Amino acid sequence: MFKKSAKYLIAVGLTVSTAVVMAHGGATGIVKERMDAMGDMKDSMKEVSDMFKGKAPYDANKVRAAADVIKGHSGNALTKLFPEGSLQHPTEAKAIIWDEWDRFSKLADHLGTLSEGLANAAENKDTPIEEKGMMGNSSMMGGGNMMGNSSVMGGHMVHTAEEYGKMPVEMVFKMVTDNCSSCHTRFRKEKE
Amino acid sequence: MKRALIILSGFSVVLAMGWNSLNSEATVASSLKELKGDVNRGAYLARASGCIACHTDVVNGGASLAGGPPLKTPFGTFYAPNLTTDTVHGIGGWDVDDFALALRYGQNPKGDSYYPAFPYTFYTKLSDQDIADLWAAFQTVPAVGQSAEEHQLGFPFNQRAGLPVWQALFFSEERFQPDKNKSEKYNRGAYLVEAATHCAACHSERNLFGALDQDNPFTGSKSMLEGEGKVPAITKQALQDKGWTELDLAYALKSGLKHDGDAFGGSMGEVVRDGTSFMQKEDLEAIAHYLMNQ
Repeated sequence: MFKKSAKYLIAVGLTVSTAVVMAHGGATGIVKERMDAMGDMKDSMKEVSDMFKGKAPYDANKVRAAADVIKGHSGNALTKLFPEGSLQHPTEAKAIIWDEWDRFSKLADHLGTLSEGLANAAENKDTPIEEKGMMGNSSMMGGGNMMGNSSVMGGHMVHTAEEYGKMPVEMVFKMVTDNCSSCHTRFRKEKE
Repeated sequence: MKRALIILSGFSVVLAMGWNSLNSEATVASSLKELKGDVNRGAYLARASGCIACHTDVVNGGASLAGGPPLKTPFGTFYAPNLTTDTVHGIGGWDVDDFALALRYGQNPKGDSYYPAFPYTFYTKLSDQDIADLWAAFQTVPAVGQSAEEHQLGFPFNQRAGLPVWQALFFSEERFQPDKNKSEKYNRGAYLVEAATHCAACHSERNLFGALDQDNPFTGSKSMLEGEGKVPAITKQALQDKGWTELDLAYALKSGLKHDGDAFGGSMGEVVRDGTSFMQKEDLEAIAHYLMNQ
């Protein structure tokens, strides 16, 4: 009887530890640390996006909590996890990060401002949003700020956290997403 | 090396077949000139179809549609040309029929064939009205007098003479045909995906000649773009297995945020930023509906 339960416990223990090790494809050290940090942010982003998709009821407290998690992983907390040349398996980071360190760290810093802005805007659930230039917008084809400007900040003007706090929360959330995507687009290798 | 040899020998065989007659003049239906194009609908479609994304060097602040950044592929480096109204470096000297010849037949006004890096194998399915709308929108683009760089391709891919043969083997000029047994939403999604947004250009495998695997669409691929890694499968099954829903897909194409909270990166980040994020909710829902119900 004991033997059977012991076997069972060992099996469970092995499964759990394997699952922990395998969680990020066998990442260790700094690579694991940053993958975990990204994972935290990912979970927070999912929680908030489910509210805007209508999958979950809107909850300003949860938005602030999620924004705090992201803020905690932004700026220096993020860039310090990318020491030069840290491209050990199974990293998805690209070496261009260190060629364009200024761009990379600006995005990391801006993530901090935006997430703070997201928390500030959490009560602005029902503020109407202006649609991104679509039909009837002559800037779609030529000139116009949607077209030729720097994509570094996801095509948005840079504001302070207080200014973001006055905007519709869904719009600020979109800007956070754009910031993440800008960084991933330039600096992350897609593994699938 | 072995792969290069196979490509080389395959290409040589094709060339040796000497199908010069294939380079016959394509003709375009004359009715296009009679259609009135809608600039806004055309601009919308230019966004959705990736014209602006590919022909604009966004990252370096290049002027809209004045030529794209280098696309590094195993065949060499492609540069999407200047599509502004400049008469020397752009398409300012074209008319709507020249434009249709390019989109539907993959040929320039001189009769030279384009490389399939330009996704005319999809655009051939665009409707007459959409071509007219696109053309109207392109007329509004300010002229930029700069020439895009020449493609830098290795042998044998730098042999443009082989392109008509490529077209004869792998390209059929055709309009989109809706499936009468499917809903309007499904057909709208199918039209957008198959004619405009050309998802399969990256999400399907290509053969040694760069032709897409038509029989197994959307099964994912190794990216043709240097340093890009893998492109995921977007078949109904693959999407379902990963936990995507239609709602998630439409939201992701609008926002850039995936169903699990991760933000798109790589080329897909650009596709959303410069293309699908501008699209209307109904169209994104139609795309999601089509992909989840293929």
